Amino acid sequence: MTLNGWLQIALFFGLILACTKPMGLFMTTVMEGRKNWLTRALSPLERFLYRICGIDSTVEQRWTQYAVSLLMFSLVSALLLYLMQRMQQMLPFNPQHFGAMTPDLSFNNAASFVTNTNWQAYTPEATMSYLVQMTGLTMHNFASAAAGLGIALALVRGFARQSADTIGNFWVDLIRATLYILLPLSIVGALFLCSQGVIQNLHPYTVATTLEGAKQTIGQGPVASQEAIKMIGTNGGGFFNANSAHPFENPTPLTNFVEMFFIFLIPAGLTYTFGKMIRDMRQGWALFAAMSVLFLAGVVTAYHFEQSGTPLLARNGIELAATDAQSGGNMEGKETRFGIANSALFATATTDASCGAVNAMHDSFTPLGGLVPLFNIELGEVVFGGVGAGLYGMLMFAILAVFIAGLMVGRTPEYLGKKIEQKEVKMAMLALLVLASSILLFSGTTSVIQFAKNSYWNAPGPAIASLTNSGPHGLSEILYAYTSATGNNGSAFAGLNANTPWFNITIGLAALVGRFLMIIPLLAVAGSLAKKRQVPVSAGTFPTHGPLFVSLLVGVVVIVGALTFFPALSLGPIVEHLLM
Amino acid sequence: MWDQMLPGLRLKIFMTVLLGVIYPLAMTGISQLLFPKQANGSLIASGGKVTGSELIGQAFSKPEYFHPRPSSAGSGYDAAASGGSNLGPTSAKLVRGTTKMDDKKNEVVDFDGVSLRIVHYSLENGISYESSVPMAQFKNPDGSLDDVRLIKAFNAEKSPLVFTPKAPIPADAVTASASGLDPHISPDSAKAQVSRVASARGIQVEQVNRLLGQFTEGPDLGLLGESRVNVLRLNLALDHAFPVK
Repeated sequence: MTLNGWLQIALFFGLILACTKPMGLFMTTVMEGRKNWLTRALSPLERFLYRICGIDSTVEQRWTQYAVSLLMFSLVSALLLYLMQRMQQMLPFNPQHFGAMTPDLSFNNAASFVTNTNWQAYTPEATMSYLVQMTGLTMHNFASAAAGLGIALALVRGFARQSADTIGNFWVDLIRATLYILLPLSIVGALFLCSQGVIQNLHPYTVATTLEGAKQTIGQGPVASQEAIKMIGTNGGGFFNANSAHPFENPTPLTNFVEMFFIFLIPAGLTYTFGKMIRDMRQGWALFAAMSVLFLAGVVTAYHFEQSGTPLLARNGIELAATDAQSGGNMEGKETRFGIANSALFATATTDASCGAVNAMHDSFTPLGGLVPLFNIELGEVVFGGVGAGLYGMLMFAILAVFIAGLMVGRTPEYLGKKIEQKEVKMAMLALLVLASSILLFSGTTSVIQFAKNSYWNAPGPAIASLTNSGPHGLSEILYAYTSATGNNGSAFAGLNANTPWFNITIGLAALVGRFLMIIPLLAVAGSLAKKRQVPVSAGTFPTHGPLFVSLLVGVVVIVGALTFFPALSLGPIVEHLLM
Repeated sequence: MWDQMLPGLRLKIFMTVLLGVIYPLAMTGISQLLFPKQANGSLIASGGKVTGSELIGQAFSKPEYFHPRPSSAGSGYDAAASGGSNLGPTSAKLVRGTTKMDDKKNEVVDFDGVSLRIVHYSLENGISYESSVPMAQFKNPDGSLDDVRLIKAFNAEKSPLVFTPKAPIPADAVTASASGLDPHISPDSAKAQVSRVASARGIQVEQVNRLLGQFTEGPDLGLLGESRVNVLRLNLALDHAFPVK
C-alpha cells in the first residue's frame, strides 16, 4: 500500500464531502419546485411534459397512489423494453445486425434495468444494437434513478409533514429529478468523458490490422452518453462486457476518478437534502457520518487484502509490494492504469452505492477483498447507496436503531419528532426480511438444484455447472449473483455463466423483489408518518444527531447484516481465505 | 388504478424520445464536432489503414516488440469480446493452468496459468531462475517450450515442477487484465523486456531505454492512477525509429 494510494482515497472522500452541501441544496430547491438557475431553460419543457402526459402537477398523491403510479410506470417501461429487445433485428441503429434476444434474457434485462440493477447476463458488444442501448438502457438509467430519488423524497416528506394525507406526486418527482438533476449532469459528464477518450459514435465496428498483421475488430457505439448516466444514476450497466474496465468506457485514471465521484455525488448530497427538508441539518450529517464510517472501513479492508495478494502468487515469485514502477498485489482482473488502490476504491464505492459498475473483476479478488463488495450489498447498500435508494435504506435502519434504543429504555421510540410505532417497525422489518429471504432462498436453491435432460431451464445436471470457480469460491459466485440482483446492484462475480433461462428468470425475479417489495413497505411508512403529529422534544427523547446515535446506527447495520449472512459468508469467502 | 397507465405510457414515450434518442444523438453530434478523434476511438491509422486504437491493447509475440499482458478477451485481445478470466486467485486453474483434448484428440493448452506465464516471461527475457527439473527437458525439437508438458508437470500430484525466478516478476506481467484489452504494462515489466527487444532489433540497450523513457507515463495530474507504458504506441515508435531489417 502506498502513500499515493491513500492520498487518492483521501482526495476522493474529501471531494465528496465538499460537494455534499451544494449538491444537497440544489436538489432541495429542484424537488421542492422552487426557482433555480436552470428554471428558465427547462421549465417550458417541464410544463410541456405535464401537459402532454395529462399530469396535474399541483395535485399530490397519497402513498397508495404514489406506489400505483410507480408500479404502472415500471410495468409499462419493462414491457416496452422487453418488446424492443425481442424485435431489435427489425429496428434501426443495428450496424452489426444482431438478432432478437431470447425471451428469458429479454425478461432479465427488462427487470434488471427497470429496477436500477443493470445486471448483465449477456456480452453487450456481441448481442445488443445501438438502438436498444440508447432507447432501452440509457433511458432506463435515467428513469430508474429518478424514481429512486422520488421515493426517497416521499419518505422524507413523511417525516417532515404533520397531519398530512399526501407524500408528493410521483410524476412530478420523476420529471423534475430527470430534467433538472440527472440530465444536466449527464450532459456535462458525457462531454467530459468523451474529451478524455470515451467513444461516442454510431459507426459499425472498426476492423484494424495490427502491427503483427492480425485482424482486430474494435467495438464502437454511443458510449459516453450512456457512461455518464450509468455512473450518475448509480445504474452500472456497461456498454461493453468489461464495463468500466474497458478502455473505451474508462480510458484514464482521471476518468476513473470522475466516474467514482459520480457514483457518490447524488447519494451523498441527498443526506444534506434530507437535513434541509426536515429543518435539522445535524440529522443529515449524522447519516453522512454513519455512511462515511462504513465506507472507510470497507475501502481500507479491500485495499489491504488486494495489495497483500495470496501466498500462492508470492510462492511463484510474483512481486506483491507496490513500487513506483509497478503496482504489485493481486493484479488478476485489474487494469494497469488503475492498479490496486483505484480498483479497491472503485469496488467499494460501486457496492456501497447500488451502482454495480466495475473497473476490476470482483470474481478475481482475494477472498476477503471480494468479501467487501459482497458484504456491502448485503448491508442493503446504505453506505451513500443508490440514488434515493441509499437514503431510504438508511432511514429504514434508523427506524430500527431508534426502536432498539427504545426497547433498551422501555420508552416509545421517536425519530425526527415522529413516534415510531408498531406499523413503522413492522414495515421496516418486512423490507429487511424480504431482502434476506430473496438472497438466501435463491442462492440455496441454485446451489442444490438439478435439471433433467431436455429441461427448458438449464443444461442438464446441476445448476452449479455454470460456475467458473469450484469450492467455496463457487458458492461466493452464486451468493454474489443473487445478492447483487436483490440489492439492485448489478455487479457480478462474473465467472457465473448466467445466461440460461434458470438464471435469467430467477435473477430477474430477485431484482423485482428487491426493488418493489422494499419500496412498497417504505412508502407505507411514509404515508403513516405523514399523518402523525410532531411530538415536542423532551428530556426522554433520544438525540439522533450525536456520535452515540451514529455508533448505534452503524452497529445496527453491521449486526443485522452479519447475523443474517454470516453462515453463508463463512462457507464462501471466509473458508476460502482460511484454506488459501 | 389503471388510470395511471396512460400517463405512464405517455411519459415513457416522451422520455424515450428525449433521453434515448435526442440526448445520445446530440452528444454524438457535439462530440464528433469537438472531439472527433476521441469520439471515434482514438484510432491510429497509417497509409489509410487502421493499425488499432491507442486505448485498446493488441497482441504482440515477436521478440522485437514489447509484449502486452496476458489477455482473457476472446482468444486474446479480442476487442469485440472484452472481459477477464474471472478466476479467483486461489484457483488451481489460474495458478497452474489446465489442458484439454481438441477435436483431433490431441492434448492442447486449455488455460495457460500464471506458472507457465512466469516460465515464458523468465526465459524470453533472460531472467535467471531455479527449477526442480531442468527446462531443457521441456523443449520441443525446434527449441520452443512444450506448454502441455509444462502444465502437466505443474499439476503433477507427485513432486510437481517448482520454477522460481531469481528476480521478482511484476504482477501485471503474468496476470490478465479485467477488460482483456489493457493497453498498458508497468514500467518494471517493460524494463525487463528491453534487452530482448534491443538484441532482436540489433540495436543498443540504451537506444531502447531512451525510447521507453519517453513513453513512460506517470500518474495523471501527478497523483491519480499508476505509472504505465502504452505498448502499441511504444512499438510503433520503435518501428519508426529502428525498423526491423
